Amino acid sequence: MSKHSGKEQWKHLAERELKGNPVESLNREAPGGITLKALYTAEDIEQYECTNTLPGLPPYLRGPMATMYAGRPWTIRQYAGFSTARESNEFYRRSLATGQRGLSVAFDLPTHRGYDSDHPRVSGDVGKAGVAVDTVEDMNILFDKIPLNEISVSMTMNGAVLPILGGYIVAAEEQGVKHNELTGTIQNDILKEYLTRNTYIYPPLPSMRIVSDIIAFCADAMPRFNTVSISGYHMMEAGADIVLQTAFTLADGLEYVRTALKAGMDIDTFAPRLSFFFGIGMDFFMNVAMLRAARFLWHRLISRFNPKNARSSVLRTHCQTSGWSLTEQDPYNNIIRTTLECMSAVLGGTQSLHTNSFDEAVGLPTDFSARIARNTQLIVQEESQVCHAIDPLGGSYYIESLTMSIVEEAQKIIDEIEEMGGMAKAIESGMPKMRIEESAARKQARIDQGIETIVGVNKYKSGETPDFEIREVSDDVRVQQIVRLQEIRKTRDNKVVAKALENLTKAAERGGNLLQHTLPAVRARATVGEISDALEKVFGRYVATTLCISGVYASEYRDKEIIESLRRRSELFMEHEGRRPRILLTKMGQDGHDRGVKVVATALADMGFDVDISPMFQTPGEAAKMAVENDVHLVGVSSLAAGHKILIPGLLTELAQIGGEEIMVIAGGVIPPRDYRFLYDAGVSEIFGPGTSIINSANKILNLLEKQFMG
Amino acid sequence: MTITDVQYYVDGVLARNRRVLSKTITMIESSLPFHQNIARNVMERLLPYTGKSIRIGITGVPGAGKSTFIESFGMMLLKRGLEIAVLAVDPSSKKSGGSIMADKTRMERLSAESRAYIRPSPTGRTLGGVAQKTRESLLVCEAAGFDVVIVETVGVGQLETTVASMVDFFLVLMIPGAGDELQGIKRGILELADAIVINKADGDNVPRAHLARQEYETALHLVNPASANWSPPVLTCSALEERGIEKVWETILDHKRQLGATGELAAKRKDQSLEWTRFLINEGLQEWFYKNDQVSRKIPDIKGKIEAGLITPTQAAQDLLSVIMISGASDDALQREENEK
Repeated sequence: MSKHSGKEQWKHLAERELKGNPVESLNREAPGGITLKALYTAEDIEQYECTNTLPGLPPYLRGPMATMYAGRPWTIRQYAGFSTARESNEFYRRSLATGQRGLSVAFDLPTHRGYDSDHPRVSGDVGKAGVAVDTVEDMNILFDKIPLNEISVSMTMNGAVLPILGGYIVAAEEQGVKHNELTGTIQNDILKEYLTRNTYIYPPLPSMRIVSDIIAFCADAMPRFNTVSISGYHMMEAGADIVLQTAFTLADGLEYVRTALKAGMDIDTFAPRLSFFFGIGMDFFMNVAMLRAARFLWHRLISRFNPKNARSSVLRTHCQTSGWSLTEQDPYNNIIRTTLECMSAVLGGTQSLHTNSFDEAVGLPTDFSARIARNTQLIVQEESQVCHAIDPLGGSYYIESLTMSIVEEAQKIIDEIEEMGGMAKAIESGMPKMRIEESAARKQARIDQGIETIVGVNKYKSGETPDFEIREVSDDVRVQQIVRLQEIRKTRDNKVVAKALENLTKAAERGGNLLQHTLPAVRARATVGEISDALEKVFGRYVATTLCISGVYASEYRDKEIIESLRRRSELFMEHEGRRPRILLTKMGQDGHDRGVKVVATALADMGFDVDISPMFQTPGEAAKMAVENDVHLVGVSSLAAGHKILIPGLLTELAQIGGEEIMVIAGGVIPPRDYRFLYDAGVSEIFGPGTSIINSANKILNLLEKQFMG
Repeated sequence: MTITDVQYYVDGVLARNRRVLSKTITMIESSLPFHQNIARNVMERLLPYTGKSIRIGITGVPGAGKSTFIESFGMMLLKRGLEIAVLAVDPSSKKSGGSIMADKTRMERLSAESRAYIRPSPTGRTLGGVAQKTRESLLVCEAAGFDVVIVETVGVGQLETTVASMVDFFLVLMIPGAGDELQGIKRGILELADAIVINKADGDNVPRAHLARQEYETALHLVNPASANWSPPVLTCSALEERGIEKVWETILDHKRQLGATGELAAKRKDQSLEWTRFLINEGLQEWFYKNDQVSRKIPDIKGKIEAGLITPTQAAQDLLSVIMISGASDDALQREENEK
């Protein structure tokens, strides 16, 4: 097809409507290097051969299954877990009774990082951001009256994947369920942990061996279980744009494939059990196109390995709506955001979906908010009639063109990574992490300036603070877990445990399938911490390298006058105090989400602050020591995992003990407003809720400093 | 807010109070004359307690793994019962003047240890500024009783020369590359090095590390050694896998023994002090010169003449300096006073 005959006439009309401006003035530069036009026609997609393909057939652009939702709708799979195994179990059973189709377990941070609930480093984290699991006894309670041969279980676990997957398998055994009856997914995607989420335990090399051992064990014993859920979600949440999310996720996938091949496995024995996990944000059409592009690319990438089984190159994915797009301000807006994101995922053809609860910017979902989130999917699935047509947007000039643009841009990045020797090598160089952080800083700057609208945050602010219930996990959980742990350590046969752990250490040292060797230890009631330690003896614990970008926030911020005025105030402070305002940014506890801290660090440095960054996973004592040694004016604590009521007062106490009582403490992240009073009373100087612009934060910080030092 | 009692700082440092030690370094680094004055008085009283540490300077290109090396090296020293202080100099952004100091994220274990003290300092806009003050911070740490004081800096600009001039042992950290190591490296840095350590000799890198080692050895042969009693060795290590770290420490102890026995180490420290004095005089002279009323009045005029091409830079400098020469009449007065004594 050649150029549309009416195109010139349209252009003429359009430019008249635009008062003489060219139609190109309507173009939009989308993050990820894609230029979007205002109008797409047949000529934009005529060069692509894949637009008129069929679902369930290569290149799978239109869907991994032949019938898609017309045959069977996507699985509504809500991610949940908190407090004790008993409380989570009750929550799961209520959810299953009201329309949920599969489970998705959230574990607490100590479990992720391989610590038992009584470990001194985890005092603020037990049961907070997920359920606390110490032994298989907790697993038995977690899945009590949930038949594991019928209900598929997805588990988000990467660091302590061996004791947790082992715990699930043994819990099934004790229910009388055979290994090969188990269905579900283990996330087991360690590579992205080094990029964003930071819930790793061991260095990359032994961690990749664990991934590969799990793939091998399951290929044999659990053929219906997804062995890796290659996740882009956390990258998006950390600030990656659509193209980065697509490219890095698929590059991670390629690395797992190569690792398994290197371990001697045949591509068709494991590739069909690799699944994906994408994050869906607010850019509606772009997110639809992303899922289509990812399927196309995965097929292309895997075809190189000449699989015989057609399912080997099919990308099946779970999706989750963006937690980052949720706001604390005007929180009921979040229901609408989640609905739109839900539609994107559905139109993109996801296999299962989690929709976020509207209150997740401030805390864990309550039964009420979780019901609304679940109902969002039920309404889309059963009331909106979208399920009847397969890939309903297929053939749209815009969607097809967007799809191929994402394919092209992502392929460029994948090629770049391949040249570096694959994703493991790229991660070592720090490249992917820097790209994500740069993208995050730019996005923040656009939001802070109102270039990207967030209703109720940077535009149409209501000022109202609606009152709704927020779930709070009691600090008793830790005490309860410790009592249970002590009980189990007393009643189990400790000789059998020691022997099993010894065997596991030996396997780590000399070879042997690690999951296979974990099972006897789990059966003997070894704890998550003990099993992790048995491996740590050989593998060591990984320490992240932190690279920082600078200048990005300031360069993206168009109103240079504002940046300049903040810089001038830093200078004035220096003239008065003999040095620049100096702030320590820290993360305490086992919460590894460091995007916020990184973005704030680079922005404050751009405004003339001296910024210290602490290692991750600090205890309050360690953070206080660093604040005193570096002699900072203030400490900024980022808290996203509900540990603030223990860790922040802990920091203030530790500071006072070592003579740092005049160092101010400020806090930011996910902190429910009703905790503000408590924190102010404990001595916190300022609290920044989600959605506070950094310009605004910097301004308030300078106010504090000027009041204390120059007032 | 500022505590002005000099003895507070002196007593605190000698009592190894971390809070006071930190505040003392802040006073040293401050740009306020009032703070500097306190710092000077504190230094004077602390001086008798200095001189006992082993002073080590560490530099390397960005990415050489300096912090990771110090983490492993420091942990090894702690195991030997030593207490250590690390002063890390971090470059600031020229544009905003601000900085991000993430050194401690790579020294996770060491920074949590009670027997280790780590203090990162931003350079500010002038690279030399804080680095110069690091010399005094080093002495304060010595007075506080640390057995080893490490000064870490990025290998850019003049920083490494400054650091080399305040330590006993200057260690240059390198990483194995693709055989073109020497192209990017300045000859000057080889002349400063008491040892070159090739880090990241792990995994696939091992053969390349050994190749690099040979190349550096050859290169060092072409450089005149700074001391007749010490030829700088080239070592390999893996800070990540904690291999070769002990050897580095043994080399430093060897150096101390050999140069200590000949009295060269003591002489080196004396030279460094004299050099430091000269530097401070130069700094002071400069400051005094530009603050001189007649000079500052004359500068715009001279500047205009240079820009208009009316005089040469040599002539311009001569003209400005002559202002001082004339007002230097007071020097004669001083001389007379001397004579009368």
